[in-house]
Amino acid sequence: MMANPATWQRTSPFAIVFFVGKTIKTLGQSFAQLLVTFGALAVLIRRNPYLFLLIPLGILAIIATGVLQYLFFRFAVQEDRILIRQGVLKKTSLDLPFERIQGINVERSLVDRMLGLVTVSLDTAGSGAAEGQLPCVDAALADLLRTRVSAKHGSGDEGDARDEDAEEASTGSARRAVGGRSGRTGERREAILTLTTGDIVRIGLANHNLVLVGAVLALLGQSLDFAADILAPAVESAETAFAGADDLAQTLLVTGFIATLLAIALGLMIGAAVLRHHNFTLWREGTTFRSRAGLLTQKEVVVEAAKIQQISVSQSPLMRLFRRYRLQALPAAAMPAQARDAGGLPGLAEVLEVPALKDSRAEGIRTRVFGREGDGLTVLPGSRGFARISAHFIPVLTLRISLVSALIGAVILLAIVGSERALGVAVAVVIWWFCSLPPAALISWLKWHRHGYVYTGEGLANRGGFLGRKVDSFLFRKVQSVAVRQSPLQRRKGLATLHAHLACGKVSVPFINHGMACRLRDRILYRVESSRLRWL
Amino acid sequence: MADSTPVDTGVPGMFVNPVVPLDSLPGTESLEWTPLHPRFARRLQVGALIRAVLIVGAWTAFHLRVLPFIAERLPWLPVFAWAIIGAFCLWSLLWPAVAVPRRGYVVRDKDLLYKSGVLWRSVKAFPFNRVQHTKLDSTPLDRRFGLASLSVFPAGAGAGHRIRGLGQETAERLRVYISERIEADGDAESNDTDAAPAPAEDSEVNSETNWETNSEGAGDSGQ
Repeated sequence: MMANPATWQRTSPFAIVFFVGKTIKTLGQSFAQLLVTFGALAVLIRRNPYLFLLIPLGILAIIATGVLQYLFFRFAVQEDRILIRQGVLKKTSLDLPFERIQGINVERSLVDRMLGLVTVSLDTAGSGAAEGQLPCVDAALADLLRTRVSAKHGSGDEGDARDEDAEEASTGSARRAVGGRSGRTGERREAILTLTTGDIVRIGLANHNLVLVGAVLALLGQSLDFAADILAPAVESAETAFAGADDLAQTLLVTGFIATLLAIALGLMIGAAVLRHHNFTLWREGTTFRSRAGLLTQKEVVVEAAKIQQISVSQSPLMRLFRRYRLQALPAAAMPAQARDAGGLPGLAEVLEVPALKDSRAEGIRTRVFGREGDGLTVLPGSRGFARISAHFIPVLTLRISLVSALIGAVILLAIVGSERALGVAVAVVIWWFCSLPPAALISWLKWHRHGYVYTGEGLANRGGFLGRKVDSFLFRKVQSVAVRQSPLQRRKGLATLHAHLACGKVSVPFINHGMACRLRDRILYRVESSRLRWL
Repeated sequence: MADSTPVDTGVPGMFVNPVVPLDSLPGTESLEWTPLHPRFARRLQVGALIRAVLIVGAWTAFHLRVLPFIAERLPWLPVFAWAIIGAFCLWSLLWPAVAVPRRGYVVRDKDLLYKSGVLWRSVKAFPFNRVQHTKLDSTPLDRRFGLASLSVFPAGAGAGHRIRGLGQETAERLRVYISERIEADGDAESNDTDAAPAPAEDSEVNSETNWETNSEGAGDSGQ
């Protein structure tokens, strides 16, 4: 099958499953939509039982669409591009030059893994991601694609990619002597980190949904009567058994029920974390970073080091308890050529994410991605080097939060009470506004406390967050455009907000000294304009 | 450091990158801002007038036909709506005369600066070697006044900007200039990576070490 990839070929017949799944997905764009459809169908069937026949017919139609889509899906891998033709009625043919491909991401479901197949997503960042997918192809094909793509990129930004990296720069000359491109085809692997079982359990425990479930359950527990009412129909037998029992027994029953629910939720969260992150490995191969994880469906993310624009490290309060961080390396969201073709449509590039890691490891990854340019730049929220922003931030934010809450309150009150008692509403809103001042001030103080920034000659790290903490760090030379903004109050106090637009998003440093903002902006411009390295 | 020797000895044709202190960089405070086209404020006002006529006309029709039924329930609505519409129209007629003189741009060798804002002020900077493409457009009303808008698009959502109210000729000249800068930059970069990667790399690493020493000083002064 792999004999000649340049000819038009089909994927493995197992791709039918993939296409059926895709059809179902497009049918019901969201779960809610699917639910509504089925609800409507159920109502119709109740009216006319013969309509029941529609269901197998529909399923058959979906399968037939899947088979047709499979039959019409063909691709060819040429020396410098990949061609994909698909579509039954609406035909599309995709012509992807390898230079445009940002990364090749591989996903393997359980069936895939048993058969040695992979589903390849070509990360073009710009066009529709779903179009560049090769379902159920040979694993060897993925390797071939990878080799060709990296060879294509290698001729362009090999030097750049190597410069990004401290160690590579030092050993660069030796490798260059051997012959630059030999090392990049994937022989040299350097494992960076793997997730331990403990880490995966921590991720499961730190899940936000768990806190939500806990809170809901606690609320339920607060109103035991309410809970008992809900439970009554659910555990009919238990109800009859405890019919004669006293209050204590009922309380115990409810508590036990809630505890069981909580335990199940906990198990689910940890299970989900294991499913997603099992055997997580991050390693570097030549100039790319790769991560692979998953218990049943294995997912592999590949990101070129040179394409990483920003590193974000975040820490939720629960993760802080475990002393773990979450790291994301954001690649550029839109390719230049693609942006021109698609009219500036931003695409989504695959983000390289490490769900849980220790502080030293995070700094290690920063060194690997930013290289020497990143020296002195921290990615850790707990670092001492962060400079505070101006405290004028607090009253401004307090006012904004409280005014917004008062406005929402006013609208709700007007809707409930009606406009007849406008005076009463006004008084209530003013009282509500006054009451909301202290909590707003607390929130503002906390946010101010979280804000901070560190800069070196080459880059900036910006910290923010409310309950959790997050640090965005980037190199100056990767910036796309800069803006310095001043509100009237900021102008009076000599403050400003610095916005740095990167190819992956915006980083804003609020309420810093105006002179400082201007100096930072000029520094950014200087680095952007004088750097001869490519930003992508 | 061993790497730094090549630059010190001054190999001919080597990329040299001396240290520049942060404070001595060209700032934007002393710039001569070029104002927008003198007819731009008038053009905005004419546009606002047309819009005002349309809005008032549409709302009058609504007022005569539909509003009586709604007004039975909400008696304050007509007055409220007319007040808001009046304020909006008046505002959009008067505001350009205040706001437009505050806008301006500067074209420098390597970037384009744009300032705007009366109360909330901003200065935006677009380095030419990050601009992916530019766009020139003008509405029929713009053309009557001899105006055009120039958009610059760097990579990334929200990073670009549309500069309105340039003279048609100025806008075209700017577009050509920026395109030339982009091309020149692309050529320089590809030459850099293709022709002689090894020395360029070394010198770049070198310059990095230089910047580090500088950056420490800058970092200290900032905190």
